[in-house]
Amino acid sequence: MLSIRLCSIAAVALLATGCANNSPSLGSKNINYGDTKAVETVTNEFGSTDLQMIAESMTRSLAQSGILQGRPVVQVYDVKNKTSEYIDTREITTSIKTQLMKTGTARFASDNTQMQSQVDQLKLQNQSGLYKQSTVNKTGNMIAAKYRLEGSISSIVKRSSDYKDVFYKFSLQLIDVESGLAEWMDEKEIRKTTER
Amino acid sequence: MRIKIFGVLALALLAGCATPPPPAPGSAASKVVAMGDMKNIEVGAMRVARENGFLTVNVQLNNTSSRNKQMYYRFAWLGNDGFPVADAEGWKSLTLYGSQTSFLPAIAPVPKATDFRLEVKTP
Repeated sequence: MLSIRLCSIAAVALLATGCANNSPSLGSKNINYGDTKAVETVTNEFGSTDLQMIAESMTRSLAQSGILQGRPVVQVYDVKNKTSEYIDTREITTSIKTQLMKTGTARFASDNTQMQSQVDQLKLQNQSGLYKQSTVNKTGNMIAAKYRLEGSISSIVKRSSDYKDVFYKFSLQLIDVESGLAEWMDEKEIRKTTER
Repeated sequence: MRIKIFGVLALALLAGCATPPPPAPGSAASKVVAMGDMKNIEVGAMRVARENGFLTVNVQLNNTSSRNKQMYYRFAWLGNDGFPVADAEGWKSLTLYGSQTSFLPAIAPVPKATDFRLEVKTP
């Protein structure tokens, strides 16, 4: 009788430990972390793969072109969105800037969105009287950009009863600020077709 | 006599089961990582150069079928120690028309890259 009781307790203990969740995840099985580098074809609107391909292609073409000799200072301007859809073009410029920074071929001046914060910080340090004078960064020492980098993205969308075709064209150019000459330019074309 | 015949047969079977020798280090084949059966797509000659400090690669791809084939690919850029020197690239999709020979150009993301692997996969 005692052995039967012991056996049943052991069986219950085994079942309980067997059912314990020892996976390092919690929550619904319907939610998964995916591969951020996978080819995304959920819809044919502008997507993560397009962003990655554009940034990668443009950065490498520019870095390898040889125009960025001596790590010049570059100012990045927002990419003009000429498509009919909403695209966060700031993410394209951020990716290009990040990847160029990693190549070590260029330095970047404060762009138009960061300029106000930069000016505010300099004013605060120099005019508020809050900071120890020896630690204050002086005004008039900001480095001006030698080049400006600007681009645009446009699209051609065609629809029929069977197909939807989207053709994206991304253009980027590097312009010498002093001369106004375009010193480098490249394009990336992407076609996405949906068959209904 | 029977034992000898069995012996010869066993040797022949063993030879048939043996895995092909690994590609020679530094050869074009050693740079390709096929993730599964490549279904009528052959990776051919490769041209590797260093231009303005960056490793550049051009890879020949052949579609041995008469039908259009789709494939996915990405490059992994390695340093002198054989380890990656940059973040993993995004996968890209490529369509090869029936019997087409195409070339895949690529530029390393950082000057530190001295070697590469081409990862390929068919759907």
